[in-house]
Amino acid sequence: MLRWRKVWPVLRREYISRLQTRAFWLSTLLVPVLLVMLMALPTWFLRRTGGEFRVAVVTADAELASEIATRTREHAAARPGPGRLAVTIEHLEPTADAEAQRTELKRRVVVKELAGIVWLPETGVASGEVEYLSTNVTAVRLVSELESAVSTAVTKRRLLDAGVDRERLEALTRRVGMRPVRIGEDLRETGEAAFERSFALAYVLTFTVYMTLIFYGYYVMRGVIEEKSSRIVEILVANLRPMELMVGKIFGVGAVGLSQYLIWALVAVNVGASGVFAGATGNVPLIDPKLLVFFVIFFVLGYFQYAGLYAAVGSAFNTEEEAQQTQTLLSLVLVPSMVLMFPVMANPDATFSVILSLVPVFAPVLFFTRMTVQMPPAWQTALCLVLMLASIFLIARFAAAVYRVGILMYGKKPTLRDIWRWSREG
Amino acid sequence: MTTAHLELHGVSKSFGRVAAVRELSFAVPRGSVFGLLGPNGAGKTTTIRIVMRITLPDAGRVVLGGKDIDDELRERIGYLPEERGLYRRMRVLEHLTFLGEVRGLARSEARRRAGRWLDRLGLAEKAGRRIEELSKGMQQKLQFAATVIHEPEMVILDEPFTALDPIATRQLKEEIGAMRERGTTVLFSTHVMPQAEELCDHICLINRGRAILHGRLDAIRAEHSRPALEVESPATDAELVAVSGVAAVRVADGRRVLELAPGAGIEAAVKALAAAVPLTGVQVVRDSLEDIFVKRVEGDHAPLA
Repeated sequence: MLRWRKVWPVLRREYISRLQTRAFWLSTLLVPVLLVMLMALPTWFLRRTGGEFRVAVVTADAELASEIATRTREHAAARPGPGRLAVTIEHLEPTADAEAQRTELKRRVVVKELAGIVWLPETGVASGEVEYLSTNVTAVRLVSELESAVSTAVTKRRLLDAGVDRERLEALTRRVGMRPVRIGEDLRETGEAAFERSFALAYVLTFTVYMTLIFYGYYVMRGVIEEKSSRIVEILVANLRPMELMVGKIFGVGAVGLSQYLIWALVAVNVGASGVFAGATGNVPLIDPKLLVFFVIFFVLGYFQYAGLYAAVGSAFNTEEEAQQTQTLLSLVLVPSMVLMFPVMANPDATFSVILSLVPVFAPVLFFTRMTVQMPPAWQTALCLVLMLASIFLIARFAAAVYRVGILMYGKKPTLRDIWRWSREG
Repeated sequence: MTTAHLELHGVSKSFGRVAAVRELSFAVPRGSVFGLLGPNGAGKTTTIRIVMRITLPDAGRVVLGGKDIDDELRERIGYLPEERGLYRRMRVLEHLTFLGEVRGLARSEARRRAGRWLDRLGLAEKAGRRIEELSKGMQQKLQFAATVIHEPEMVILDEPFTALDPIATRQLKEEIGAMRERGTTVLFSTHVMPQAEELCDHICLINRGRAILHGRLDAIRAEHSRPALEVESPATDAELVAVSGVAAVRVADGRRVLELAPGAGIEAAVKALAAAVPLTGVQVVRDSLEDIFVKRVEGDHAPLA
């Protein structure tokens, strides 16, 4: 059916002429820059929740205030890194005019001199009723750190008041820290930093698959339209079967994509080794080699599905403008997979995640996303690959039929129904 | 010149309810220059596309050199479509090499021949330029070179003279003559009759998808264009018609042309005329291919009785 000696010149022409374009080198250069920025994003968000805060503590009990300060310092020391939360406690004795003092402090909060006020009346130790006043009471981490520190300090004061020996008290109220540990598929334990890193990595890899699928699918479509509108296609199909031309184009453009992946991988390995990422992510991310293999597999299988569809769309229309609408429809198939990426990432084993990720057109993004979080059971991976191969087969048949009719069809802009009819005829 | 190089047997093709080609049969003798003639919309391009297997016929056979044509055999034909395209951004030498490869040459051979053609066309110093930097005339030369780069035994040119300037037209005519010398079979389509008359030795005239005349050009002319006499004479039309052997008088371009009765010899008619009326001039004229074409096509459009 396919004569490779005929496919080969088409493939090589596609590959070489695209490698010679400025667009290829520009995107090869810019995409990693973009991705590093994206990768730094979670860290950046984390850093935003941390930072330096000044909090006023209004209490008559100086010892209690210093205890709170000690506790927040301990917290900060226990969790270093980009999300470090450094709280400075400013102790204030309550003045005679409580209202005036409260108003003055609130003003300082509003002008951002203070992050907030802990209002601890004398009765608070007994009743446990303490107020925290701030313009932003949903700064979750700051509030919970303060709550924990205040709670510990107040408990300590109560125990002292109850006559517990001070030395024993120190031992009894020693800070309890809970370290998040992630369990890998191989039962290996990794720390919190690795967890944050794997989130960033999952996001970056999945986004790369998504973006390259759209880009390279679009290149295939544009190439087909160019051949049609320049009319060179008539010379080509007098010597090549339409299927040979289509396969040559899809493989040629795909080879360009793979080359780009290779360049990125080489750069990433070298840059990674030199430790440039260390600042941004805490440590050099070590990508699971199995994940890298699937990264390429999902790009390739996804590419064949979308390139086939884009080639069919390209062949049906005379200009890019005409194809715009149908092309948008196509990208509407891809966009949901990107939107669904976050819920799936959060619940990789939920029924909806499993089902959605097995849909062949979503799989390159969604199934791969699941893999980055946690390797799905082998039977699901196998099923996913089989479904995608079946989908490629069906799409290729559809695309070849439409392409056959479409590339020589000039004149009126076809409707979706026309295209469907061609797929039955071809 | 007696064996058929290309034969069509009862080829039909419809697009929806429109019949583009209807039971078309003709034979292109080996080594001939064959004109596929007909008005616009007659089905010339569809016929050529069927030969090149770009379009598959609903019925009928296309035979090349005695075998039913297939995707391998069609490589022996060099085809230049009416709509000629090139990759605008590609480099000249690279493009010609690519088209050579597509036409079945190995890459090294394609590159060698492409270089030779560029020398021949005087485009050697443009080898590294992009196609879009070439003039239209140069692009046309390149397209022609690409058509014959694999040295096909047959060349099919669809309306090759459209959009050519007079110099390019003459060069193409010379190329066709050179191919005839080399024994390459040339089939080209046109609706410009004087060109066909000048170049072809065989023709097929098609109209509305059917062949209405087919064979050697000189035989067709002998059969379909009976000689007539163009006369200069003070005699009236009635006096002229009265002469024996004269069937009718018509005026073409201000000249009076006498059509001869069937069976009437030229010599006898001239003698009878000279004896009957005063003559200041007389000349034998024949219908041109264009006259035959117009008559046949107009006749074809008349309601079929």
